[in-house]
Amino acid sequence: MTTATPTHAIKTTSQGLGYALPHKMGRALWAPMWVTALMGFAVGFVLAIARAGIVSDFGVADAGAQRLNHLVPAFMFVGFLGVFASVSFAVARILGAFRKGGGDLQEQVGGEVHTLKMPLTGRLFMLTMMMGMMLIGVMVVLHFVVAGNVGTWSAETVEAWAVSLEGFRRLGVAIYLFGIAFGLGTIITVLRFQAGRIRQLAGV
Amino acid sequence: MTARFATLTRPAAGVDWHKQTGHHRVGFFLAVVGLMLAAVTLIANLGVASDVSASSSLSTLRWSFGLTTLAFGTIKVAIAIVLVGILIRLWQRVDSVKAALPHLKAEGGGGGIESGAIDTAFGPATVDATTPAPLPIHRMAHTMWLPMLAMGAMALLAGTVVSFLWAGDETDVALGAWTQGLQFLGEALLLSGIAFLLGAILRALREGGGGLQESLGIGVVTLKMPRTARIFVGLMMAGLMLGILQFILYITVAGGVDQSAAWFAWLGPLRELSLGLILAGIVMALVTIGNVLAFQFGRIRQIIATGK
Repeated sequence: MTTATPTHAIKTTSQGLGYALPHKMGRALWAPMWVTALMGFAVGFVLAIARAGIVSDFGVADAGAQRLNHLVPAFMFVGFLGVFASVSFAVARILGAFRKGGGDLQEQVGGEVHTLKMPLTGRLFMLTMMMGMMLIGVMVVLHFVVAGNVGTWSAETVEAWAVSLEGFRRLGVAIYLFGIAFGLGTIITVLRFQAGRIRQLAGV
Repeated sequence: MTARFATLTRPAAGVDWHKQTGHHRVGFFLAVVGLMLAAVTLIANLGVASDVSASSSLSTLRWSFGLTTLAFGTIKVAIAIVLVGILIRLWQRVDSVKAALPHLKAEGGGGGIESGAIDTAFGPATVDATTPAPLPIHRMAHTMWLPMLAMGAMALLAGTVVSFLWAGDETDVALGAWTQGLQFLGEALLLSGIAFLLGAILRALREGGGGLQESLGIGVVTLKMPRTARIFVGLMMAGLMLGILQFILYITVAGGVDQSAAWFAWLGPLRELSLGLILAGIVMALVTIGNVLAFQFGRIRQIIATGK
């Protein structure tokens, strides 16, 4: 059954609802994404040192330097994609801990179990996280495509791609950070709801 | 001053817990501002990409760089404000549980408290009669989050101003180095401020949970510092050190070096690596918070079931 308190829309059940799908995903995926991030950063930085060597010997116009100019951000942003996804999944994991913990506690006390319906901020969190992930992911793929075409495409075309991809990459990061702010904001809503619910259970 | 600082993260006595604190609204507003700034820089970059040989391209890319980094910093400040809101709400939750638990817990539970180490499903813990003192990292986090955020914001703003000067100068390597060094020092400090706020949240969970158990006169069960928390501290410190190092190296470049292009080729990824390490540490802090919350829910249920 779905009801609403003056400020919160809730579901009322006889048992705790446990983890929802986003929470399960958060619990399962934060660690793999974290490892992916560290690997991406490590590879990207090693390639950057290699590029610095080429630039030092042959200049920035060298084809190898041009290719690495796309491969370095590609790997660094695999790192950022991974670490932002990991942060988002860890936030989802915290929200899962509140939902399961709160549900189990109410179930133990007896009576109805009230579970907060996903607030708008929670939906925005998931939506923007997916948007950020897709945007950065597509940009990473395109960096690899451009790197593969250095020497085939004109230097101007390669440069134009670099500038465009940089803009979209940055927007992807901003969207991710934006989503994380909303995910954390959802925690505030949950804390407020649970502070009220436990007083309600005790009748104080 | 100290009291005013403390009220930033703890609700004042007598404040109605029903009331919204407003932190999330301010945070969301700033996050929208940051996102809009990032969208402006995307448009600027697309304009450059349509004609990379145009005379204004270099200038546009320079201010667009400065503005993007400012956008990221703005959203990070937004995140920090939301985290402060979480801290206040956590203390209000502690107050609510303190008020409710005596009415919910089973009768009995008296008897002596056996202090010592125990194993829980969430890792090793200690049992004491009183709340354990905060760990050094908790004290540091409590003291440092605000100075870090303030210094980060100042460095970021200074870097943004320099980026506009750089945009007006066709060749100046020094201004480019100052822009990048200052802005990413600011980013590293802002992220460290966020990491310290997460440390302050962990402190609040520890103190709040301990105080709650102590108020009931039962054994205070506290998780020992988990491995994820140790990794958090290590990664955050490593990232912050790299953030400071990249700033020093950029100043070196600004002072004049041979082959500045080669320096820029690896300093850019170095500064990104510094942020990546702090973010990886932040993940570990969030994971630790999730584990501590699950442990605390288990402990509350135990108190309700057994009274001790």
